[in-house]
Amino acid sequence: MDVKKKFPIVIISIAFLLVLWVVLGFEGNELPYVTIQELKELKSSQPGKRFRLGGNIQEGSIVRDSHDQLDLTFVLEQGDESLRVTYHKIVPDMFKEGIEVIVEGYYVNGKFQADNIMTKCASRYQGDLREANT
Amino acid sequence: MPLYGATLLNLSVGLAILALVVLVIYVKKGDYRLFLTGQRAALGVSFLILLASVTLVANLIKGNFDIDFVAQYTSSATPIVYKFAALWAGQSGSLLFWVLILSFYTTLVIFQNRVRHQQLMPYVMITLVAIMLFFLILVNFVSNPFKPVEVDFVIRDGLGLNPLLQNWAMAIHPPILYLGYVGFSVPFAFAVAALISRRLDALWIRTMRRWTLFTWLAMGCGIILGGYWAYNELGWGGYWAWDPVENASFMPWLTATAFIHSINIQKKKNMLRIWNMVLIIATFLLSIFGTFLTRSGVVSSVHSFTQSSIGPMLLGFFLFVLVVCIFLVLYRLKDLRSEIRMRSFLSRESGFLFNNVVFVGLCFAVLWGTLFPIVSEAIQGTQISVGIPFFNQIAIPIGLLLLFLTGVGPLLAWRRTSRESLIRNFSIPFLIGVVTFLVAFVLGIRSIYPLITLSLSFFVLCAIGLEFYRGVRVRIRKLGENVVLALTRIISKNRSRYGGYIVHVGVVLMFIGFAGKAFDVDHEWTMEVGDEVKLAEYTIILTNVREEERPNHHAWIASLLITQNEKTITQLYPEKRIYFHRNPDPNRRQPHSELDIYSTFKEDIYAVFGGFNTQKNLVSLKMMVNRLVRWIWVGGYLLLFGTVIALWPIKMKRGE
Repeated sequence: MDVKKKFPIVIISIAFLLVLWVVLGFEGNELPYVTIQELKELKSSQPGKRFRLGGNIQEGSIVRDSHDQLDLTFVLEQGDESLRVTYHKIVPDMFKEGIEVIVEGYYVNGKFQADNIMTKCASRYQGDLREANT
Repeated sequence: MPLYGATLLNLSVGLAILALVVLVIYVKKGDYRLFLTGQRAALGVSFLILLASVTLVANLIKGNFDIDFVAQYTSSATPIVYKFAALWAGQSGSLLFWVLILSFYTTLVIFQNRVRHQQLMPYVMITLVAIMLFFLILVNFVSNPFKPVEVDFVIRDGLGLNPLLQNWAMAIHPPILYLGYVGFSVPFAFAVAALISRRLDALWIRTMRRWTLFTWLAMGCGIILGGYWAYNELGWGGYWAWDPVENASFMPWLTATAFIHSINIQKKKNMLRIWNMVLIIATFLLSIFGTFLTRSGVVSSVHSFTQSSIGPMLLGFFLFVLVVCIFLVLYRLKDLRSEIRMRSFLSRESGFLFNNVVFVGLCFAVLWGTLFPIVSEAIQGTQISVGIPFFNQIAIPIGLLLLFLTGVGPLLAWRRTSRESLIRNFSIPFLIGVVTFLVAFVLGIRSIYPLITLSLSFFVLCAIGLEFYRGVRVRIRKLGENVVLALTRIISKNRSRYGGYIVHVGVVLMFIGFAGKAFDVDHEWTMEVGDEVKLAEYTIILTNVREEERPNHHAWIASLLITQNEKTITQLYPEKRIYFHRNPDPNRRQPHSELDIYSTFKEDIYAVFGGFNTQKNLVSLKMMVNRLVRWIWVGGYLLLFGTVIALWPIKMKRGE
């Protein structure tokens, strides 16, 4: 087979390998975006599985440990459902009660151990025009 | 005032429709007066858009809070620079900004081609005006920046721009990015015009190449600037998170990169005409798709704008353009078809083709990873995303393959590379690559990816260096020039080629910068004044915390002494700021960490003042040692420099 005939075969093989490569990449890297209700319906401990959740920080629920300032717990709420979250790192600037966050981490013994907390990129200041004018 | 702006926008819709109608009739009837009318109408639309934008900016600067957009994104306290930049701070303003840039490009294209491309220009204008019309419809009827504020009280002041966004990088990143995003419309318009009119001559290639190169550059700079801003301002210590919005800008850039390489084959061998056409169309489609992803809220992202009916409309536009283009390409397939005259796998054609497959493959991989949450939700009901680990896992090897090709490609000859030529060109770079591998290994680097990256980097640098060396040497021998003159002349006489080499050097430096990530370290502590901690080879002492009251915020400044083996390396002063601190409502106060970085070519020492416990005087501190990051920015500059050289116009002498 001369080059002219081999060529499309080579290109298609490379393309196929690329597809395979991408599909293999999904293994072990999947991060389900679940609701609190869905999480509670699973076993209360999901060792090794990472989850992603969105919700609001319940007012009055942020508690910092008095000795280790980095040790933090709060309650994430979604509608009627709520979930205790622990976190041991510096929080993003926008982090405070009431705001919308996305947390990622592990579900252990009915509590959520977050290893990543994200707040929305502030495309605008969160506020109310009425409040700004009183 | 809002009445004028909104009226201007309405008028522009009408004039755009008129321009389209007139140009379409011209194409059918051939009356040149219709062409001129259509052209003037297109210019008129651009002018109206400019006026509307000026009106909005004037209202922003004046602080006319009767307009909702002005009240949302500015306040009387906002510095004037950011009042101007507020134009692109929100959905409706940024859409107007989009169509403004498109109108600049349209005007430029019309003026540049007053004489040239006469068969193409009607179709080019029809395409560009049609795209403008779509965005004008969005701006007029879906997301109007002149919408009056809808409240039942008198507005005295606006909300103001978030202090996090009041930063020089944030101000210029969107405009530069838009120059790329929006700019892809121009080569696309030429591609559509060529397909409809069946004109694919050499001049078209030159025009296409220049426009794509320029918009590719703008997009690339916009992307790098975004990474630079994230790294220097946001405090998470990274420059790229594979967020859907980031990916949305990266994908069209990848196909554009494939195009600027494969267009060389078309220039030289008149091959791959269908493929090049497909690449340009794909680039434009991806930029529209990117806009859709960013603005529709379909995939969860930290960058998300609010949802509105804009999502479905953008998706509809995307699908419409896709269908039209598929039809056009299939319709002209016979005209586009060219022989694939491949003689050898070891040829430059083959190298370029391989390059294309890999770039498009990477684009596909990023697309799949970005869309996977939507697909999985449709099938399984749960949004399953794949985060940074997935993208890094698949992208790094593909990137290294590209790095390898960067070195190999230019050394291959057209048609077929002989064995002698291979040995002559490759032996030294190959040797350098192997030596680098061994040296790195001996120095203690055992991770496979950094080892390969470094070896390939020096392989490529050596290959490029040899190209410069050979070119200069020929000029010195044959023309008696000195080194500096020879170097200047050879670059000047082969701007495309040597500009491209410089861009490649920049890319290699960026890869070296990426490799540094494998050796990064970071940690967080709770500290009191006087405490000492260690990170990697450094000792960090918190020497002091002081307070400062400033005009629009309150600040705590931590003083950190960084030493290594008792020697002082530097002092860092990260800050914790509270904006609107005097506001009685604690929820309205805005904390912000202003990080401090000590940057060298070896690494960045990065300090974030996470939080301050005022009762116990406890500081939450995050420190990072980020290796080799500076090389990324240096590489970015070379990318810019090299492309400018490649784009620099050559004065055509008569008869050439």
